[in-house]
Amino acid sequence: MGGQKKTIGFTLNGRRVAADIGVHQNLTEVLQEEFGLFGARESCGQGLCGCCTVLVNGIAVTSCLSLAAFADGADITTIEGIADGETLSAEQDAFIETGALQCGYCTPGFILMTKQLLDENPDPDDDAIMHYLSGNLCRCGAYPEILKAVKLAAQKRKAG
Amino acid sequence: MSPFELSEPQTLQDAVAMLDASDTGIRPIAGGTAVMLMMKTGIFQPDRLISLRGIESRYSEVSVDDAGDLHIGAMTPLRRLEKSEEAAQAAPVIRRALRRLSNVRVRNVATLGGHLAHGDPHLDLPPVLIALGARALIVGASGERVIEIEDLFRGYLETALAPDELIAEVVVPAQGTRRATYMKHTTRSADDWPALGIAVSLELNGDEVGSARVAIGAATDTPRRLKSVEAALAGKALADETMQAAGDAAAAEAEVHSDARGSAAYKRELIRVFTRRAVRQIMEMGTGGAV
Ligand SMILES: Cc1cc2nc3c(=O)[nH]c(=O)nc-3n(C[C@H](O)[C@H](O)[C@H](O)COP(=O)(O)OP(=O)(O)OC[C@H]3O[C@@H](n4cnc5c(N)ncnc54)[C@H](O)[C@@H]3O)c2cc1C
Ligand code: FES
Ligand code: FES
Repeated sequence: MGGQKKTIGFTLNGRRVAADIGVHQNLTEVLQEEFGLFGARESCGQGLCGCCTVLVNGIAVTSCLSLAAFADGADITTIEGIADGETLSAEQDAFIETGALQCGYCTPGFILMTKQLLDENPDPDDDAIMHYLSGNLCRCGAYPEILKAVKLAAQKRKAG
Repeated sequence: MSPFELSEPQTLQDAVAMLDASDTGIRPIAGGTAVMLMMKTGIFQPDRLISLRGIESRYSEVSVDDAGDLHIGAMTPLRRLEKSEEAAQAAPVIRRALRRLSNVRVRNVATLGGHLAHGDPHLDLPPVLIALGARALIVGASGERVIEIEDLFRGYLETALAPDELIAEVVVPAQGTRRATYMKHTTRSADDWPALGIAVSLELNGDEVGSARVAIGAATDTPRRLKSVEAALAGKALADETMQAAGDAAAAEAEVHSDARGSAAYKRELIRVFTRRAVRQIMEMGTGGAV
């Protein structure tokens, strides 16, 4: 496949990186193929399930519907970038402690959305959580535990 | 997705200049949520996309002018519009409608200009903006023009925009004492595309309806005004019979089609019921201040 190429440079999980990409490639593809990051994965490919969520300049984005070309100059965080070395983030800890997953396929998306929700609203009630996470699907049906995980993550973040 | 070329102009004027009135293979891309889906499913295979992401930042802003008109730049992400206090003051129905439009991630990226230019009859904001009497500022190679949102939609994924025209801004006129509501009925998941979307805006004079604007989407081939309903409401007392008459007029006027979200007969009934409910909801808001 030919097509126009572009060299993009961006910050990926805190490190400056560059890649030569086809301008028709989506961001999920480029994260996987160029950087070996498989935390964002394409499932529905239509913006419905949230498995491909990444943060672009701090904002949650559906990477399966994003052109990688638009990542040029951006600051991108994937699930691989939210732990501090060996220390997991509050959201990661909370999902593990509450058992808010079964197969784990949806979990990176849920954790990144949880992080953004708590950045915007440190104390969400059930309605706020369900509203915010309605664009993430868990086919294993771990929703009750996910609700608990989000609330536990909120507590952990407050405890610092 | 098949390869294509991408241009990233820095101004709206440059973007317009890169479009071509006679070549539909060249298309703008804004948030890209609709374009990407269409490319992935092969509905659309562009030769070249013109990204609007680099154009002047004033096209991503929301403001209110001295006359109280709300100006929304075409590149404003839906999520920014949802959070805008200016928009919530000027026309609170916009924020309420946005909360049930798709999901946070899509709203983070999708723009108002892309939403309107997409021309899908199921979109939520066209009926809302039609009921509010909004207009769009269009910029093309031969200059600017203003078009009422109600005149923008021509058919499935078809709009009144020429291939070399861009929506630059949407203006919602000051609503004064008018109040509006939007009701969306989904038949599958809660944040699915609607089977019916209906927006009603009423000017109330005490216990009487002054004037009404009513628009529906999703159930019809394009979002459109229901003028018989507006006539059934204008000058009438705020009473049960008025709501009933409005619902009946809506069901009679709207040309509905069966699809995966419901049969035509079912949607006709939805229209009758939701028109009534929408009018009732506005009555219950009481008078005083725009809602
Ligand atoms: C998972 C999912 C769920 C959704 N659910 C809903 C829903 O419940 N309700 C709803 O209303 N919508 C829904 N949508 C649709 C969504 O609102 C649209 O995809 C979005 O608003 C399009 O905006 P965009 O900026 O991404 O447009 P783009 O994809 O960039 O562009 C869309 C079209 O507009 C053209 N265009 C873009 N900007 C301009 C401009 N300024 N001037 C002229 N032409 C322009 C493009 O060429 C293209 O034809 C959903 C979308 C997804 C992916
Ligand atoms: S894979 Fe992107 S939203 Fe489902
Ligand atoms: S844990 Fe399996 S999809 Fe959510």
